[in-house]
Amino acid sequence: MESPLTAVVVDDHPAVRAGVAHWLGSGTPPITVVAGGEDVRVAWIGEGADADVVILDLHLGGPTPALGDLRRLVEAGRRVVVYSMRADDETALTCLELGALCYLTKAEGADHLVEATRAAGRGDPYTPPSLAGALAGDRSDHRPALSARETEVLVEWFQSESKDFVAQRLGITASTVNSHLERIRIKYAQIGREAPTKAALVARAIQDGLIGVDDL
Amino acid sequence: MADLPPDVRLFANTRIVLVGVTAVVQVGICASPLLLHQADYRPAWAENVAFGVLALVTAVCAAWLVRREPLPAVVAGGGAVVVLAASAVATAALPADGYFLDVHWSFGLVGWHLLVLLVDRIGPLVVALGLHIATSVTQFVLVGDHDRVEVGDAGVVVLSVLGFQSAIVVITLVLRRQTRLAVRVAADRDRTATRAALAEQWERDRRLTFAGQLGATLPLLVGLADRTLDPRDEETRRRCALAGTQLRRLFAENDDVPDPLVHEVRACVDAAERRGIEVSLAVSGTAVPVPTVVRRELTGPLVVALSQTLTRARVSVLRTENEVRVAVLADTASAEGIARASPLVRVECGTYGTRTRTEARWSHP
Repeated sequence: MESPLTAVVVDDHPAVRAGVAHWLGSGTPPITVVAGGEDVRVAWIGEGADADVVILDLHLGGPTPALGDLRRLVEAGRRVVVYSMRADDETALTCLELGALCYLTKAEGADHLVEATRAAGRGDPYTPPSLAGALAGDRSDHRPALSARETEVLVEWFQSESKDFVAQRLGITASTVNSHLERIRIKYAQIGREAPTKAALVARAIQDGLIGVDDL
Repeated sequence: MADLPPDVRLFANTRIVLVGVTAVVQVGICASPLLLHQADYRPAWAENVAFGVLALVTAVCAAWLVRREPLPAVVAGGGAVVVLAASAVATAALPADGYFLDVHWSFGLVGWHLLVLLVDRIGPLVVALGLHIATSVTQFVLVGDHDRVEVGDAGVVVLSVLGFQSAIVVITLVLRRQTRLAVRVAADRDRTATRAALAEQWERDRRLTFAGQLGATLPLLVGLADRTLDPRDEETRRRCALAGTQLRRLFAENDDVPDPLVHEVRACVDAAERRGIEVSLAVSGTAVPVPTVVRRELTGPLVVALSQTLTRARVSVLRTENEVRVAVLADTASAEGIARASPLVRVECGTYGTRTRTEARWSHP
């Protein structure tokens, strides 16, 4: 049995930190929040430095998003779940490009946070509905080419917030929905600046046979 | 004919009368002295040629008149020169004592010809008539000594012919001015009438659109007022929910906001939340301009779906590269009436277990 998953929460609101710790602690198996604080330093020193996952609020008391902190964490090989007040597509896409494994809005609730943290613990991406919407609405020039089915999955997931519903609608299984979402994230991991998390993601996708070397 | 300007029509009609008068004068009044005095002319053939030429000019004018077309400038000008020349020739061939008497048949007739040719060109007409009088008088003076009686008689003839023909010119001028005035007045009246009709149409359209957008509200209010509807009834409450949501959306429609579609969707969501429905709203993609009519069609199914929602709904607005998609997934009492045929947007509605999914899609340019 693996050691339990650990996380560090960086958020300027104590209530949010407490809430996140509670949500993560009540899952099965529970995720232990080893450190928390309003400053990103907690993720670099003490117990926070060894936590498996960093849950990072992008707006730490200022109007400018803490993209620099995100970049430094990712470059150090940390697995980051961005947890933000704002459902702003552009920021979400930037965070993905920097190497965050998930961009989650605070409106999206406990289930998504727990799932995103678990996935990040394994080094996997997680795509919550709002992020799926951002990807579906992405009109940037360098966006990866998605298949019609992948786009459909993104849109349906964004619209319904339920993978079972998407599966029912499209006549596929929930796990196929997941693998479509994962493939999309791998496509996104291949664009933009390099990051250890993104490289690991692509490497593992090749190992698992999710994509071929030819697709690169 | 009908699309000719009124003053052109006036001149066409005047000219037809003038041609008739000219023909009658030439045949009825001038022909008999010409035939009667063949022996007095020096020579007679000059008079006959002049008569023929004048008749020809009348016939040529008639060619345009039957089509009610104005005479071309070349025809009018050339005709006037030919007529004046014919007049000079006819006058030159007169016996010395015949000036301005019945033997001088061409004097009055030429005036009529000039009127036919130049009635719509007043300046040239006055000049041509003046030339005609001047030439005839000059020829009269040159032909020899005249006693006072002769000069007096000639003056009377000249003045009477001139007076009659000038009167026609003046009448035509007055008529033309009246016609132009009438045209202007009529145009003004038409413009006013058009404006009034447009305003009325706009008002009617507005009423219709408003009534259309108010949708279920008016009959509902009437039903409540008449007590034919019971507010405790579930169906009545559902109709109230629909009317309330429609009104909220309608009020949001004319607000000046950067993203009107999302603003209207939010208004619908807000109306549903006030009824205790738990709604999660998600918006993605960059805003694109959506025309008002399309926004109405995009939000129409949403309004109905939300009004039928029992407890919770997921509403989403997605703008992709070529589409705007407004979707709602909700537990509804029934999916009835949510999807309506729309020429502008594609509406899809389906029930999955307890949930109804509705989506309106619009392909933007």
